[in-house]
Amino acid sequence: MELRVIDKTDEELRLEIAGEDHTFMNVIKGALLETSGVAAATYDVNPEQSGGQTDPILSVKTEPGTDPLDALADASRRVQDLSTNFTSAFEAAL
Amino acid sequence: MMIPVRCFTCGNVVGEHWDEFKSRAREGDEDPAAVLDELGVERHCCRRMMVAHKDLVDVVAPYQ
Amino acid sequence: MAEDFEVEFIEREDRKARFLVRGMTPAVANGIRRAMVADVPTFSVDTVRFVENSSVMFDEMIGLRLGLVPLTTPLDDFEEGDVVTLALDVEGPATAYSGDIESSDELVQPAELNVPIIELKEGQRLQLEADAVLGSGKAHAKHQGGVAVGYRHLHRVEVVGDANEFEEQEPNILRGVIEEAAAEHAADESAEDGALVPTSEFDNDLTKRYPGKDVEVHDVPGAFVFHVETDGSFTVEELVRRAVESISDRAAELEEKVAI
Repeated sequence: MELRVIDKTDEELRLEIAGEDHTFMNVIKGALLETSGVAAATYDVNPEQSGGQTDPILSVKTEPGTDPLDALADASRRVQDLSTNFTSAFEAAL
Repeated sequence: MMIPVRCFTCGNVVGEHWDEFKSRAREGDEDPAAVLDELGVERHCCRRMMVAHKDLVDVVAPYQ
Repeated sequence: MAEDFEVEFIEREDRKARFLVRGMTPAVANGIRRAMVADVPTFSVDTVRFVENSSVMFDEMIGLRLGLVPLTTPLDDFEEGDVVTLALDVEGPATAYSGDIESSDELVQPAELNVPIIELKEGQRLQLEADAVLGSGKAHAKHQGGVAVGYRHLHRVEVVGDANEFEEQEPNILRGVIEEAAAEHAADESAEDGALVPTSEFDNDLTKRYPGKDVEVHDVPGAFVFHVETDGSFTVEELVRRAVESISDRAAELEEKVAI
């Protein structure tokens, strides 16, 4: 996972996350949308055949007072919590 | 030629059941559907791998 | 999203399971599904060195067949990229089976012993050495541990009225698992509201479950029924656990890198 910041303002972030695909990007996007202070979040991956940019680009827009990088860290935290919760629920059901 | 190791469509390993399927349903006179059910080959993608297969090693061998 | 999940097994064997998860978003369900298919690594033959191959098949064809044979993969003891050497030596007349493969590591063995590799005639011989590599399904489908991995929404069937009694009822096919919501109308007398019933119990035909009734089918929000099978490399539990772990690991990595 290589990160490259393309655009960054107080309320907007465009970030390239190299080496990831829909598996993780869609999960993190979903988590971002449920994070407080996030106004909009999406990601874009071009197919390999397009010849240009193929690594996913994550775009986050936040409400005033929230740093998009902090929001992203919150969302990552959220995904980890959710994984822990799922694993324990799964193990309890075994 | 030889039975494919896996089902083309779903990737389930079907090769392991070939010998039994062959002796019971091809050479024997059991109902192929019943044999496949018993072997646990459930999906029709995997079932066609067995039903539609023909061993060709004996046919090709003389031309080696 | 970080609420509590509820997991319930509907069917459970070593290599095949169906379980219901409640409280999940579609994004997470799909993430786990994709991780099971493409991100959990398994051992698979990658390079083959032929000493002798006088069989009726070309080296490449044998190499392909060897690659597809599932190998047991204890993920605690290996990491991606690790190599285990295998050997096979069979002389005709005989059939070379996956069970004839000898492994240099006790932990990595063919998961299936009865897969025919090639039938050898009198005087033919197959002798080879192969390297099995631990790789992920992203690189090659032979490394996929999960087979036919998928999920469906849990269905809730409601009886909304009586069917036209002068008309013959058409089959109403539904596949998956239903959550019983109209036990009093069910043909099965032991039916109970809230019970989970795989549709295969009534031939996937709702008219057999609720004869003479009109029904409506709804998806239960946030409830997914996963169907997971493995090729024998590991158990279903291991596969699910590893898939979730791989997503979690990536989230941890992202959190760490964002903090800088």
